Parts: sequence; structure tokens; C-alpha cells
Amino acid sequence: MSAKHEPSRGSWYLLTGLLIGLALGLLVAWVLAPVEYLETAPASLRPDFKDKYRGMIASAYLVTGDLGRAQSRLSLLGDVDPVQALTLQAQNTHAAGDPDGSAYALARLADALKQSPSEAGLSPTPELIASLIQSPAGGATLTPTRRPSSVLTPIYTPTPRPTRTPTPTVGAAFVAVAPESVCDLNLSEGLLQIEVKDVAGQPIPGVEIIISWEDGEEHIFTGLKPELGNGYSDFVMKPNVGYSVQLASGSQLVTNLSAPSCQTNSGESYRGGIRLLFQQP
Amino acid sequence: MSRWIKFFIMIALGLAAGLVYAWAISPVEYTNTAPDTLRADYRCDYVLMVAEVFHSDQNIDQAARRLGILGSEPPARIASQALEYARLANFPASDLALLQSLTATLQTWQPASGGISP
Repeated sequence: MSAKHEPSRGSWYLLTGLLIGLALGLLVAWVLAPVEYLETAPASLRPDFKDKYRGMIASAYLVTGDLGRAQSRLSLLGDVDPVQALTLQAQNTHAAGDPDGSAYALARLADALKQSPSEAGLSPTPELIASLIQSPAGGATLTPTRRPSSVLTPIYTPTPRPTRTPTPTVGAAFVAVAPESVCDLNLSEGLLQIEVKDVAGQPIPGVEIIISWEDGEEHIFTGLKPELGNGYSDFVMKPNVGYSVQLASGSQLVTNLSAPSCQTNSGESYRGGIRLLFQQP
Repeated sequence: MSRWIKFFIMIALGLAAGLVYAWAISPVEYTNTAPDTLRADYRCDYVLMVAEVFHSDQNIDQAARRLGILGSEPPARIASQALEYARLANFPASDLALLQSLTATLQTWQPASGGISP
């Protein structure tokens, strides 16, 4: 009788041993020697910290004009579409009142990347940091240097020399081309569409526009709707209100703008819009 | 082989299986981490970005606030650690100068009010 039970007892205690070992293994890996969150990469950051990191990249780009370095830094964040991420953040930051003043920088960097032939960016590999730190802000020659960690193999990727994107020159006032009434049922009623272009006729993003009326004022920026153009911005005018428009960086003041009255084919009236262009002479 | 030996062999196998599962098959994925866990070279590059902006706007309060997300240490210490790393990694002289300037300014800087909030 007891001999019949021997094999069965043997199997059970072996299984028990295995389970105890497994439990000990998990205990060691998850409790006694838990993984410490150290030496992480920017791609693993929490979304709000990623936004701060991205904002910092854009702010640094704005002052250095080093697009290659900005691209390398952005690739570390692992965004699928860096331009879209920048644009979206610029819009969100602007909508939130731009508390850290980075909306303009984000829009400028997004625009510069769009115009850059290597906009596709670099794949987010750890080695990129090596090329990134070896991209001198103003230098032309890259020299190999020692890295403190043997994990990273420096790949010295020459980055483009700093190329500053066009900025509205202080004091060079923009000229307003005569406002044009727009009767288009596909647009929002009373839509004031504003475009800002430089001397070469290229749209300029991030330009602050001041729209004022009798008892109010609003500041808007170009480039926050990139699908409509980098130099584009719009504002919905209220009925029977006269508006004045001016660029914060200096431009001709356009006054007495109000939504024109338009008519449909069936004779119904509706509020049309206005198209206004500021051109750098 | 005695039962005890077999028992301990099974425990060892189980332990090994547990470790393999927790460290290799289903490793921890780093997501939603905070900037204070960034690797030294990434931290250094972040500080360099702050230094680049500071060089342009000379706004030390803002620079200190920006460094605050890298941890609870004083901004001057964060900047000096970055400078130390940059020296070891042979950063270009222009970058070292920026980091040096930021570090020096932070060492004499006093927060206007309260402290640094990330």
C-alpha cells in the first residue's frame, strides 16, 4: 500500500521545490533586488517631461540656430513624427497661455524641420548622443573624443553648420496689403484670415499678431495651423465690431476691419470673412 | 540521489526560472520615467541646452527652474556635475564655456522666493 504511494509523493515534493524556487526567484527580482530606474533615455520620459524636454530643445535651437543638433536631440525622444509633435505642443502651449514662452520656439523649430531636406530625422539610437555632443555649436571640424562609457560607440556624424531660419527683422515694418473680403460658405462666419510673409514671399511662423477692438485685445500667432500654411493665423470676428490688426514686431496698423455682408445664391445674407496679408518690403 | 538533493535541485531550477522570467522574458520596460533618472550624458545635454538659452537671455531664475526637473539637488550642483561630465567626455570648448558660465552664475545665485519647483 505504502509502496504504491511512493512515486506520487516524489513528484509532489519536486513540484513543491520548483514552486518554492520560482517564488524565491521572483522575490529576488521584484522585491529584494528590484529594478532601479536609473540611466534611462529621454524616450522613456513621462509625456509631460517629454514636453519639457522638447520645449528645451526648441528654446536652445532658437538661440543657437543649430538645426542638426536640434534634430539629433529630438530623435532621442523617439517621436514618430517630430514635426507633428512640435506643432501639436506649440498649439497646446499657445492654447494654455504659453506659460513658459516656448510656443514660438516650438513653432520655429517645426517650421525649420519641415524645410530641412533631412526632416525625416535620425533614428533614436543611443549612439546619437555621441554625435550630438560632438556637434560644435559654431564649429566646422569634428574631432573624435573619448567617451566615458564603453557602452556607447561614438559615431561622429557631421551636422550641418548652424543655419538660422529667417526672423522678422526688428524695425523692418511689414506692409499690409489691402484687405480682401471673402464670401465663402465653407469658412466660418466672420473669419479674419491673416498671412505673414517675408521679403522673399515665404511664410513666417511664430509671428505675434495683435488684434484689438473697442473693449478688448487678443494676441495670436502664425504657424499654429501648419496645414493652412506656416505664416497663417485666423480669428473669428463678432458681428458689428470694428477691429484693428498689427504685428507685434512692427507693422502698418490696419483699422476698421469688420465682417462684410455676403449673400448666398438664394439671396440669404451671412457674414463673410476678410483676408489680410502682411508682407515684408 | 536522495530526495533532499532532488528537492534543492528543483528549488535552484525554480529560482533560475524565476530570475530568467523577471529579467529576460518579461523585463521591466522603462516608461513614464522622470528626468532625474536620465543617464549622465543625457542629463549633461539637457544642462547644456539650459546653458545655451541662459547664454542668450541671462535669465538665471528661469535656468534654475529648468534644471529643477533634473532632481532635488541644488541647481548649482546639477550644473557642476554636468560640467564635470562634459570635461571628462571632452565636449567642445564652446560647450564647456557655456556650462562653466552657467555653473559659475548658479553658484552665487540665490532663489528670489521659495525654492525651485520642477
